Amino acid sequence: MKLHIADYLIILVYFAFVITVGFIIKRKIKSSNDFLSSGRNIPLWITSLAFISANLGAQEVLGMVASGAKYGIMTVHFYWVGAIFAMVFLGVFMMPFYYGSRARSVPEYLSLRFDEKTRGLNAISFAVMTVFSSGISLYALAKLLEIILGWDFDVSIWIAAGVVMIYTFLGGLTSAVYNEVLQFFLIVLGLSPLVIVALQDAGGWANIKANLQPQLTHAWKYMGDPDSNPMGIQFMSLLFGLGFVMSFGYWCTDFLVVQRAMIARNMGDAQRTPIVAAIPKLLMPLIVVLPGVIAIALMQPALVSKGFQIPANKEGAIDYTMALPSLIAHYYPTGLLGVGITALIASFMSGMAGNVTAFNSVFTFDIYQAYFVKNKSDRHYLLVGKFVTIAGILISIATAYVAKGFNNINDFLQLVFSFVNGPLFATFLLGMFWKRTTGHGAFWGLVAGTFAAALTHGLTIAEGKGGWIAPLYPIRSGMGQAFIVASVSWIANFFTTIFVSLLTKPKPEAELKGLVYSLTEKPKYNEQKWYLRVVPLGLLLLAITIALNIIFF
Amino acid sequence: MQNRLTSLSFIIGLFFSIVSLILLIGYLAGDALKEKINLYSGFIFLVFGVFMMMSGNRKPD
Repeated sequence: MKLHIADYLIILVYFAFVITVGFIIKRKIKSSNDFLSSGRNIPLWITSLAFISANLGAQEVLGMVASGAKYGIMTVHFYWVGAIFAMVFLGVFMMPFYYGSRARSVPEYLSLRFDEKTRGLNAISFAVMTVFSSGISLYALAKLLEIILGWDFDVSIWIAAGVVMIYTFLGGLTSAVYNEVLQFFLIVLGLSPLVIVALQDAGGWANIKANLQPQLTHAWKYMGDPDSNPMGIQFMSLLFGLGFVMSFGYWCTDFLVVQRAMIARNMGDAQRTPIVAAIPKLLMPLIVVLPGVIAIALMQPALVSKGFQIPANKEGAIDYTMALPSLIAHYYPTGLLGVGITALIASFMSGMAGNVTAFNSVFTFDIYQAYFVKNKSDRHYLLVGKFVTIAGILISIATAYVAKGFNNINDFLQLVFSFVNGPLFATFLLGMFWKRTTGHGAFWGLVAGTFAAALTHGLTIAEGKGGWIAPLYPIRSGMGQAFIVASVSWIANFFTTIFVSLLTKPKPEAELKGLVYSLTEKPKYNEQKWYLRVVPLGLLLLAITIALNIIFF
Repeated sequence: MQNRLTSLSFIIGLFFSIVSLILLIGYLAGDALKEKINLYSGFIFLVFGVFMMMSGNRKPD
């Protein structure tokens, strides 16, 4: 793949715009809250698009196209079973606690609801995860640009990190959020022509269905038996592992995405943020799953004359992560190629900036201010926030170089993250809906859940991964293994939290008002028009989601 | 004008308008970009860009 002047020009225009956004926002930054939490002053359309854009990083774009090629249309379960239901739940049930408690972060909510040790555990694990995730994102970007464009690895790392550092340092969270919205439109509009031309070249959806195995074009039909579908899992594992534990755990508790709703102007907008975001999320498989299915269809014997090929990896197997770059290289001419490459770069930078801004909020508010320097001026915390932004980027760069030297560190870090994230939703569910849950229960539940996740991974083996204690239980796909590990960790956390809570003393009810469902005044929606109320909107979205599942059954 | 420059929808619109001009001028002026997909995409980006600039709030976001 070779870029021409027009392609480079588009990339340069993009860099110039994201940096300019940083300079524009800089003038609005007056306090630590402006820098780290946007002063809770962002309009609904921006919070909603930033909400899904924070998740539209490289893992989403490249990973979902790769999954589409590997597992087929079943990949839509991440959207139509996982994300939409969790986003509606977050908007209707959980945002009133996050927003109403006036907490500046998810760990701070845990401190209000439980205690400092639960907050500390969550804050430290989250800070470590986000900064390492940012580094992995940076490594993946530089590696991809090295492979497809022949760009120098070091130059890519320093330019991408430098641009992100400039606009996040200047404008903090607001700057990151504004750029996420620009990145959202760039990714959607930049990749839409690709889907249209590739689909047309493959002869349309009917021809794709005719050329692929039926397991790759049905979402549910082959889920009754793990041996008859490409993910190698049964529908109950999918519903519980992905649909409940993993999706609710991510969308409802991960501060990286929840933060985008917490900066809305008022409670109504905070509740509507994930629900409005669910509308484009519902359609996102068209941009990130369908290209993968098209790519694998184009490699079938009947369509091989189209000349499309996904390259093989070192082991000689199809390198599914190259599905999207291969499609861009095959279909985009000079000009639009620049747009496609810029969209890829934007997805990586969006993921990195999201992680860095979430990291600096949690580090400043929940680690530095909570445990080290408590009563300093606001200016002090603003300066610390800015310093932490630079430190976060530098740690990300260091992580990217470590990842370059040790290939397996990416897998290792992702694995550790899944151990920590898997059980988290049980803590929030019990904390918000059972007033008897105690801080000790929450803390030991999290510890038990993480331990159970590691144990399950050590006893199961899938695609050569796991089984490091004893490979007792083979699972066909890594994805299926992830669902099972998450499910076990959630169950371990849930019952440990209940057990320990029943043995320990709960907080007085007066301290739990606004933090627990039964002790909180319910939001009143009666005076609003139906399309502004979260419950009817949420039900409408769920009905459309169910209809899509039936259409692609 | 200054208010418009701080409006996010105006910034997004301006970005897509500039990208569309690169694609459209490139299509009309030289051989390297002479592909129909550049023309169609450039036109759609231009329509989107102008729409976003026009719909930019009078007050900054």
